[in-house]
Amino acid sequence: MNILLVLFGKLLSTISRFFNLGSGSTWPGHLALLINKNFIKDLLKNSKIKVILVTGTNGKTTTGKLIQTVLEKSGKKVFQNASGANLLNGIASSLLLHSSILDKINYDYAIFEIDENILPFILKEITPDYLILLNLFRDQLDRYGEVNTITKKWQKALSKLSKNTTLILNADDPQIASLRRHLEGVNIKFFGIDSKNNTEKTQHASDSIYCPNCGEKLTYISTYFSHLGDWICKKCHNKHPQETFTSSPFYPLSGVYNQYNTNAAVLLAQALGFDKEKITASLKGFKPAFGRQEILDIEGKKAQIFLSKNPTSFNESLRTIASLNAKTILIVLNDRIPDGRDVSWIWDVEFENYVDSFEHIIISGERCYDMALRIKYANSLKNQKIAIGQFNNLTIEDDLRKTIKISLSKIDTKQTLYILPTYSAMLEVRKILTNKKIL
Amino acid sequence: MNYKLTIGWLYPELMSTYGDRGNIVVLQKRCEWRGIKTKIKRLDLGFNLNDLKSCDLLFMGGAQDRQQKIVANDFAKEKIKALKDMVESETPGLYICGAYQFLGKYYKEADGTIIPCLDILDLYTVNPGANHPRLIGNIAVELQGVNTCSPSRCNCSYTLIGFENHGGRTYLGKNIKPLGKTLVGFGNNGNDKTEGAFYKNSFGTYLHGPILPKNPLFADSLIRLSLEKKYLPHQKAGGSPTINLSPIDETLENKARSAIAKRLNVKL
Repeated sequence: MNILLVLFGKLLSTISRFFNLGSGSTWPGHLALLINKNFIKDLLKNSKIKVILVTGTNGKTTTGKLIQTVLEKSGKKVFQNASGANLLNGIASSLLLHSSILDKINYDYAIFEIDENILPFILKEITPDYLILLNLFRDQLDRYGEVNTITKKWQKALSKLSKNTTLILNADDPQIASLRRHLEGVNIKFFGIDSKNNTEKTQHASDSIYCPNCGEKLTYISTYFSHLGDWICKKCHNKHPQETFTSSPFYPLSGVYNQYNTNAAVLLAQALGFDKEKITASLKGFKPAFGRQEILDIEGKKAQIFLSKNPTSFNESLRTIASLNAKTILIVLNDRIPDGRDVSWIWDVEFENYVDSFEHIIISGERCYDMALRIKYANSLKNQKIAIGQFNNLTIEDDLRKTIKISLSKIDTKQTLYILPTYSAMLEVRKILTNKKIL
Repeated sequence: MNYKLTIGWLYPELMSTYGDRGNIVVLQKRCEWRGIKTKIKRLDLGFNLNDLKSCDLLFMGGAQDRQQKIVANDFAKEKIKALKDMVESETPGLYICGAYQFLGKYYKEADGTIIPCLDILDLYTVNPGANHPRLIGNIAVELQGVNTCSPSRCNCSYTLIGFENHGGRTYLGKNIKPLGKTLVGFGNNGNDKTEGAFYKNSFGTYLHGPILPKNPLFADSLIRLSLEKKYLPHQKAGGSPTINLSPIDETLENKARSAIAKRLNVKL
């Protein structure tokens, strides 16, 4: 049965790409699941492939790519689902496209980034060898609901976890680390970051500063960003796990959040038995996933894209580009389904700490005026100048192509334009920037 | 006159999702830009009653269920009474989503469990259960609850633009009026075309966005009401505006408003 589905799916995907109907990264799997709802289970049953699942609000794609890089450097055959194709149909498609026509999977490892909301469904289909839980921040409340709801679903799904699965948890995220409760006999490893150089004051969009166990307000010995840090509950003594891996030999990307992604990937690689030198060497050759600190060269000028899709990722993008001394930034805010239709979250971003340090702020996207308002109110000018809309460093333009032209005109050769887009905006920006003829 | 306002932010740590703190930012900046001094009083778990009583304007945002339970536990009898007294004595306040529901009589869970609320406003909320969709989307509301005119300009008709996202359906009692009429969207319950509620100078609403940045005249009305209550205490609530706030350029606000209004096919 699956042989036919695989064949049929591959054919469909080829046709789809040939006629430019899309990359075929979700719907062949969608069809396969419609015809055989056990498609994923059946296909994996006959295979020796090791499966690594990565989920969490932020960092899935980058962490997956880091793991892939390390494994491939060691000569392993690895595939990963297409970024963003992280629902059941995306996983099924990815398996389908990487199966031979005899429905055999001739790979050593499959890495799947999983949408945090569907992890419970995936765990019914797949018994992973490794499951990495990165973090939970507020993100697209219109679609996902609240952080607590997701944690509850996860806790329930994990209670049925196979003893063959190794769990890799973020020790610094109290919601994630507290999932270890009620999981006796499960192999759990923790990653975090080194407290020495990362302490920050708590930002506004903190979701989990209350003990997931008893509801008491948590005490933080140090905070790194949002609700991540060295935490302890003084009431029920739930606390940050002691044995935590925090020291990757090398960090290929800037930003505190990427220290987490890297440490998660390196911890996994170590668990798989790879030695430190190999890991270091492969991290040094790492190329970022598209839109995640990816640098594009445009006629001698540089554009670096920092996908910024929720308050935490936006805050961390701002912190990172500020540390890179960014002067000209382009923000693109869309409100399509992959971005979240509600743009309220931009008011949870700490623009106040950064706007004054930028020389030019250019804004585009379907909700550019909402973003412009946010910047207007984040400006520290106390006088009427800002109130009456005369801020000389703000450009608003809803035509994205035009915006990119304007933005590039504001920087000199060898300077960098820092672009902070939401998800769908990132895809559009890339499309324009990589098609150089247009500029 | 050197005006000064103390803005009380109820449970900023717990009751603050969906960028609701943007409302505080807007109130503060719109005061500052006009030379009105502001003090933001954060009223977190275990806050002091006198701090609450010293406020000229109150704000409370929405929250996740768990957070809301912690807040409910913190709301001891004397706190409820103090807040009720302030609402009754016309202290202006803005209560969003979860806070709006919380000020009502009760919240009925899908399984029939009744969770008593603060019983300050004559309204109740029902959660119809997981089989009924959450009410989510952009929303436009014809504002009825407050006069947005100022002595220098008349904007007697004003449309609120925002984003709603709520599972609970709210129904208003006899002693309270809707904040406005839903033009596009669901509003209180998706049936009766009402959105939000107002009682004296207290305003409850489901509008996020957050509500105030894109509805500056509503923001200014809250500021004006607070100033009038503080500096002209004998003026009757609901009367025509007497304090004149200097205008602030609204170019960006209007563009942001009309972008959504256009999508919703609503005339501003």
